Formats: sequence, C-alpha cells, structure tokens
Amino acid sequence: MRRRQFLQYGGGLAGVAGLSFLSGPLLAQAAPPPIEVSLRIQEADVEMVDGSAVFMWAFSLGTGKPSVPGPVIRLKQGQTVTLTVQNLASTPHSLQIPGMPGVSLGPIAPNGIGSVTFTVGLPGTYFYLDPDRAPLNRLLGLHGAIVVEPAAQPPGSPATPYAAGQATPGVRALFSALGNHARFPGSPWQPGRDRIWVFNQIDPRINKLAEAGDLAGALDLTASFLPRYFTINGLSGVDAAHDEATVPRGRVGQPLLLRALNAGLATHSPHIHGNHVFTTAEIVESSHAVRVLDNIIEEDTWSMPPLMRRDLLLPFAKPPEIPDAAWPPRQEKFPLIYPMHCHNEISQTSAGGSYPLGLVTDWIIEGPL
Amino acid sequence: MSTTIPRPPTDPAEYDAFGCDPNSDVIETPDKVSPNIRLTRKVHGSFDVTMPDGRDVRFWGFVDPNTSGGDRTWPSPLIRVRQGQIVHATLDAAKNTHTIHWHGIEPSTVNDGVGHTSFEVSNQYTYQWQAKTPGTYFYHCHKNTVLHFEMGMYGPLVIDPPSGPGLLFERHPADEDQATDLRYQVEAIWSFDDVDPRWHELNHSAGLCGEDAGLNRFEPKYFLISGVPHPRTERDPRVIVRARKGQNILLRSINATYSNLDIRIGLNSTIVEMDGRPLRTNPQLGTFSKPIPVPAKAVTNLTPAQRTTFMIHNVQPGRYEVTATYKDWITNRPHAAGGLARTWIEVT
Ligand SMILES: [Cu+2]
Ligand SMILES: [Cu+2]
Repeated sequence: MRRRQFLQYGGGLAGVAGLSFLSGPLLAQAAPPPIEVSLRIQEADVEMVDGSAVFMWAFSLGTGKPSVPGPVIRLKQGQTVTLTVQNLASTPHSLQIPGMPGVSLGPIAPNGIGSVTFTVGLPGTYFYLDPDRAPLNRLLGLHGAIVVEPAAQPPGSPATPYAAGQATPGVRALFSALGNHARFPGSPWQPGRDRIWVFNQIDPRINKLAEAGDLAGALDLTASFLPRYFTINGLSGVDAAHDEATVPRGRVGQPLLLRALNAGLATHSPHIHGNHVFTTAEIVESSHAVRVLDNIIEEDTWSMPPLMRRDLLLPFAKPPEIPDAAWPPRQEKFPLIYPMHCHNEISQTSAGGSYPLGLVTDWIIEGPL
Repeated sequence: MSTTIPRPPTDPAEYDAFGCDPNSDVIETPDKVSPNIRLTRKVHGSFDVTMPDGRDVRFWGFVDPNTSGGDRTWPSPLIRVRQGQIVHATLDAAKNTHTIHWHGIEPSTVNDGVGHTSFEVSNQYTYQWQAKTPGTYFYHCHKNTVLHFEMGMYGPLVIDPPSGPGLLFERHPADEDQATDLRYQVEAIWSFDDVDPRWHELNHSAGLCGEDAGLNRFEPKYFLISGVPHPRTERDPRVIVRARKGQNILLRSINATYSNLDIRIGLNSTIVEMDGRPLRTNPQLGTFSKPIPVPAKAVTNLTPAQRTTFMIHNVQPGRYEVTATYKDWITNRPHAAGGLARTWIEVT
C-alpha cells in the first residue's frame, strides 16, 4: 500500500503568532531562504552500553545514517519549511512538532510519504516526534530536536537565542552581562554555541513486544514502565562522556547554551558540577509553546518531566569555589573535567547495576580566560 | 531487521575505568593554600535505624571523629562554614573506597569527589575549596552513588554570610530589593528521604561490575525528614519547628530522595534561596533572580538533589501543617507505601 499525503497550510495558520513581534521591514530584510527537510523512518537494532541490542524506530536525514534520537534540525524563525517524511517501517507513523501549531503529518502508511509546508514559529528548542500510540512511538525512538534560531539579532544589543519581542528583561540582562561584567569576563554568547541533550529511557520488554508486532501489548506495558537503560543523545555512561556532539567544551569566558529535552516517561533531575546554570526558557505545560523566563534562577539541579524542554545558559565561568589564591591552578592541569548526571540516581545504572553507565556526560574547561 | 545502530567504539580499559575499576591513586591536594577551617569526615561502616514497623534498616554514613557520641547519625552531621573561608575537609575512607562530592559547591576537578574524573579515596584525601555564596548545599559520597547515597552517606552543608547564622545573606547596596528582612530567629534544615529496605541489604559494590542488582527498581517503604520516619515526624523535635509570635523562620529543604517531592506549608512563605544561590536582582553582582512568594498550602516541587529555602516573616500564633508528598519518578503518583511525611510549625 502506498499513500501520498500533501498537507499545506494557508497564511492564517502559518503566520505563527510570534511573528507579530517583528516589524514588517525587519522581517522582510531578514527572511531566510525556504528549506526542504526530508526524514526517513526505519526499523533498527540499537546497541546498548552493555552490548545488548533493542528494537527501535529511527529517523535519518534523507539517506543518511539512522539515529536515536533523530538528527538535530536547525531552522530560522519565519523560514518556510517543506518537511517530507518517508516511512520505511512496517507500521504507520506520524509526525508533530509540539508547541508549533499546525505542523502535523500522518499517519503515513508503510512505504508511504507525507509532507507538510509550514512557517517556522518562535525561536527556542523543540521536539519533532511521532505522537501516535503515545507514548509508545516516541519512546521507541521516534523523536529528535529542532533548534529554532531568531531570524535576525537586534542591532546594537547582545545576541540571545530568542526573538527581540520574546526575550524578557531578565534574559536581556543576563546576555548583556556575558563578556561584559566582572562576574562574566570573556566573550558574549555566540549564536550557535550550544549543546543539545535529549534524554530517554528504555525498557527492553516493550521493545521486544513492538518488534514482534504486538503494538497494543507494547503500549499496555508502558503503564508499568521499568526502564533498564538511560540515555543522553542515545548514549549512556562512558559513551556519552566521549561523544563530541554531547560534551560542552571551551575556555573560561565562552558561555554555551544547553538545550535539554526529555523524550521519556521518567522525570529526570539533571545535576551539573563545576558551574551553576541559568534557566532561560521552558515550555508552557498546556500548549508546549516556548516560554522565555524573566526570573533567571541559578540552579545546579533542574527538573525534566516527560516532554519538558529547557534552555540553560552554562556560563563557562571559573568554577567559583576554587580558592582565588589557587587560580589559575599550577599543579592541577587543564582541562578541568566535570560531570553532568541525573540525580535521580536510579538513572545512573544500566541493566540493574553498572554505575555510572547511565544518564551522564562530562563538560570540559580547556583553559583559563 | 535492516539496520544496526552500534555503540561508538570504546577502549575497554576506559570503559572499566569509568565504572567498574576507577582510579584510586590518591594524590596530595594540589595548589594547596592555607585554610581558615579544617574538618574531617570519617566513613562509618554500618548502623541500624529502627523504622515505625519495628524493622531495623542498615545505614552507612559519615561521622566527625573530633566529636564524641556522633557515630549513629543519619543524615551525617551538618557542616557549617562562612562565606570567604578556605575549607580543608579531610575524608577518612576507613576501609573500602569512597569520595565526598560537595553538592552545589564548585571546586577544581580533583576536589570535586567524582571517581571517573579524578579518583576514589582509599585512606585519606583533603579536599580544598573556598566558600563563596551563602546558601544551602549538601555533601555526599559519589562512589556507586545510586547505592551509597540511598544508604545514607550524605549530610547538609550551609554557607553562612561572614556574620554567621541568623542572616540569610548580606544586603548589598545594589540589591534591587532593599526591603525584605533577611534575618531569621528560627531555622530548620530538613533533609527529605525515602528508603527502600531491599537496597539496604546489598553489598557496597553491588551491581558495579555488570551484575544486575535491581538498582533500577526503587520501591520505598519509609518516608522521612532528617532521618526521622513518618509519622514520628509529627512529634520529633528534630523535625518540628517551634517559634514565637513575630519571629522569622527559615526552612532549608533538601530533596535527598529518588522521588518528585511536593512540599506544602500551611502558611504564606517566600522562596528566598535555591541551590545555594540567593534569589536577588543585583546588576553589580550579576544576579538576575527574584524571590518567589508561595501562598499557604500551595505546592512547591523539588526535584531530587534540589534545595529550596523558604522564609516565613513575622509568624503569628497557630499550629500549621507541613506535608511532603513523595511521588514515583515515572508515574508521578505518591508511592504505594504511603509517600507522605507530615510535620508542624507551632507558633506560640
Ligand atoms: Cu554528581
Ligand atoms: Cu549530588
């Protein structure tokens, strides 16, 4: 069976609310070129950190390598996107971007193709995911991150990850201080300097039923979810700590934005060593829209319930409790390496033990200012 | 099956060093400067705590060998230092290996107490750090943390301003808020915890080298505040807060559970500090946060390891209920065995 879907949204829906923040001339001047994104869905055996393999569904970009989570997609606010999804799996699948109204596609039958054209909404961090048989399809691999960047940075003020009308006084104060304040010597935040951290959990009993084609049974089993693997960007433990795309790295004074997303069913409690982070955005629970925060709280541990997305500014400051008289260190050598791990320590296991082969990675300070 | 997504290739030695066989080559503290304060924490192997149903549950902890009589405390004894002090804190690991991570304190890598980025401690190591920001922290073992933390190897840590306890932090001329009273006359330090007795029968290295010790299954049966199991929390003086009319009360709350914790306080309060950072807007200091008012009985959620400090100004006579609901990290519903601890604020 082969079915083709082509959904096109008219101006009303595509003109996402946030665009009204930008003045006409600025928008016209900054309008990024249209872009085509094509994704494929296929079945895969995914190797866990202990060498065992589980059945999952994976996205790939075109004919590229499939991965769980799917590849990171970077878009600009106001950009016209034609998103095409080709389903190579033996089960129907759909696609949605929660928090971006109107972007919905499917179900796409096996061997079918679906497509949607939309205008990119407000800047921030998003999921693309398969909402069908929720939470089964996303839990079993069909999720990935979308980064939406502002169409233009406001002239004369520091860059932020958000649109001019979206950034709060608190966010503007923080980003104005970076590289420009006694507490944050170094550089301002550079657009694009970020790391995406997608969290997930795996209960292989569920994957096994899905592999055997018992999707109803697999969905039922999510009600008694007992995960045995805990991943960040699909990796656990030492694998995540060695992954270039996962590990933030830089010198003191090179602030970086962390974009954390939780695709799973457990509430994670990420804890970072070495620096506190400043939480700048989260989602509105009811609509999944990006909410830029004004009360910019410094945290070393933050909550990530299912489907939560948070942006957190990692200042890459000198770790504050190194005695001033011992900085820069002479006997201890750079790089300084610090972990980030979930503090619901259950997540620090794999297959019931093997601490810390769970949701953990490192971040690296390569040198002083 | 069409496709395989393999793990990235990893050197087996690095794989082992990350978890099963970590570095335990303890070095002399590098870049040592002279301290303002010295303290010691010694690992105490094993002691029992009797739960309300009569069951004795085994715990481990840290003791202060310079204080007598403190060998059965859980949580481990409070550490209290002042802003600006350089701290030399010696861990005496006794037998086996352990570490201390100073949670929320951010020292250099070797002083951070994490095995895979530095070393686990056999015998002794002296950690060095300088207290910088007044607030609420805790310290805990970071070896096989999933188990050692549940076994009780943690204690609260408070950084006071230079003037000491009684003041949350020193007012700064550039603080946007110059009005809020930052002094307190009554203080509680509440460490919330939940205990799955099955875990307390395990060996200290359970699960470490590939064995399935069931450490992904956490079914707590006891719900505690500062080592006191509910319902004893309703009368135990270590938990109950007693104040007099007109006083300010500071409630430092530490989520030492593996649960989503909902706290409800029976009178209006203000969150004034989180994770060791005062909530303040101060352009000169580079802080951008504001205190958060919390109406009586409203829920404040604490994720595991988060600290939230509530200030209650000018309390009026009455008996006010405080509840903590311990919710499963997957279902987000209270644990089957109750998932509740209750205590009281009594104002006369
Ligand atoms: Cu840690
Ligand atoms: Cu910790």
